[in-house]
Amino acid sequence: MSTTLAIETEGLGKTYRTRWGGKEITAVAGLSLQVPAATKYGLLGANGAGKTTFVKMLLAAVRPSAGRALLFGKDADRPESRREVGYLPENHRFPTYFTGAGMLDFYGALSGMSGGDRRQRIPELLTLVGLESWGEVRIKKYSKGMLQRLGLAQALMHRPRLLVLDEPTDGVDPAGRRHIRDVLNGLTGTGVTVFLNSHLLSEVELFCDHVAILSKGKLALEGKMRSLLAGRGYLLTARQVSEATKREVMGVASGARPLDDGVEFQIGSPEDVNGAIDKLRAGGAMIHSVIPTMSSLEDVFLATTGLPRPAPAAEAKT
Amino acid sequence: MSAEAKTVAGAVAGPGSVAASAGAQLNSARWRVLLALILDTIQEARARWLFWGLFGLSTLLILFFLFVLKIDLVQGAVAIAGLPVRASRQVSNMEKFVRAAYGFVALFLFTWGTFLAIFASAGLMPAVLEPGRIGLLLSKPVTRPMLIAGRYLGNLLVVALNHVYLVTSIYLIIGWKSEIWHPRFLYAIPVTVFLFAVLLTVVVFIGVLSESAALSLMVAAALVFISLVLAQREIVVKLLSSDWSRQLWEGLYWALPKAWDLGKVMRAAIQGEPANWFEPVWTSAVFGVFVLSASIYLFRRKDY
Repeated sequence: MSTTLAIETEGLGKTYRTRWGGKEITAVAGLSLQVPAATKYGLLGANGAGKTTFVKMLLAAVRPSAGRALLFGKDADRPESRREVGYLPENHRFPTYFTGAGMLDFYGALSGMSGGDRRQRIPELLTLVGLESWGEVRIKKYSKGMLQRLGLAQALMHRPRLLVLDEPTDGVDPAGRRHIRDVLNGLTGTGVTVFLNSHLLSEVELFCDHVAILSKGKLALEGKMRSLLAGRGYLLTARQVSEATKREVMGVASGARPLDDGVEFQIGSPEDVNGAIDKLRAGGAMIHSVIPTMSSLEDVFLATTGLPRPAPAAEAKT
Repeated sequence: MSAEAKTVAGAVAGPGSVAASAGAQLNSARWRVLLALILDTIQEARARWLFWGLFGLSTLLILFFLFVLKIDLVQGAVAIAGLPVRASRQVSNMEKFVRAAYGFVALFLFTWGTFLAIFASAGLMPAVLEPGRIGLLLSKPVTRPMLIAGRYLGNLLVVALNHVYLVTSIYLIIGWKSEIWHPRFLYAIPVTVFLFAVLLTVVVFIGVLSESAALSLMVAAALVFISLVLAQREIVVKLLSSDWSRQLWEGLYWALPKAWDLGKVMRAAIQGEPANWFEPVWTSAVFGVFVLSASIYLFRRKDY
């Protein structure tokens, strides 16, 4: 197994047993996943797909029933392996008797940081997450968004090489989300691996460069974001297209849509796009634009998990 | 040592000394983690008003003692104790009386302190196991036994500090009023803290098992009462009709912590009477070690 991987799992599984009946419920089944170091990796899945159980197994809060997990090549079960990890849990319950600075100090100490290092790091992080004037205020006075930002600072406190974030923007307003995203974007190029567990597809699509989709406890899809979203084709828009030219181009295009001032062709491959451009030019048409068509992450997610696409009315409500 | 000298020293250091240095760093990190967990428990006890509640109630009790002694109740009792005897034996009788009073007060503080401490501690273990809190703690480079140890020691420290304050204050008040200083009274501190340390293992075990503060409290308090009943074994065993019921009684008596016996032995020791410390101490200690080990075993196997 390689240490250039931040996370590596081999056949990782968790089966829960009901208390009295002994009935088995599989939360995660034989999951093998490789997360390269210094990537921004998104983990997606419907509710109950096993995402949180998987994250908890990585962090030794849940004992696997099968397989094993490694963090930077070290067994995830060993406390030393977690020295490299910063974690922001979903539905966290930070002790409300802490001040912001006090909380960072406590979790920093648990991560093995010296007093001097903690004293230096706390103001830096409070400033980074925009809470510099709130450090001495008890966190029971904090809003949900402030708690999330403080949680993020806590996760970054000991300069981890792997950041595991479980629904980091859940319940946070758009400005707060933007702030959190900015902090995370600031980690780009620092070598920190970000492992983002979220059900917010747009967030994962915006931020991550790798993605995995879990469905019913199994790995349904894994890959680079660009390759998952791209490759569906191109939209070629041209003006002053005669009917004869349009018929010729339709030989290589999979579809055409008339516009007010031209035609939009849907074409599958770059070779066909070039062929179509040649034909359009020869026919005296003017090329307006060529846009790669990408399916949204939602399309990929729904196709992978087999979940039905929500009806427009339902979409409007949400 | 200059920077250059340090560099040279670092360069010539062999793999052994590097490993030793890494080991020392790891040890220092472990102590730092343990200290952080202990201080966190104390901070939580303060925030939940348990710390101040314990000290407040102890202060009230101290004030009550001051008040009782102020109204010369004790002086009256002392005088009565001295009346029927001749003057030459009055001092000796008074000393006996004060020593007996010390023993009685110590027993009272032992009972008061133990129950109050159990009440104050019952919620501290389940609190740390709340979802959203335990997950984050376990994600740190901290072993589960270390988490329990930090919580346990922090709790014990809060109670020990309170008991030192309470018993020492009462000792000073009685000594100042009676002018008879009887340092054996201070046995009440280690004995009460020891019993609490044993009962706290039960609080931790039930806390880990059920995550219920109320159940932890009930079981620990029930154990004290059960030990009181079991300690009457010399009488009860004669009344039991079957061998197996007598053996069961004896077995339970030896297996469970001995709150009653510890109190009795402590009082005897304070009053200068022969006291058999050995049996109640070692059997209770074995019980505590066993239950704490079971708590750690259970905690290591649980999913959060």
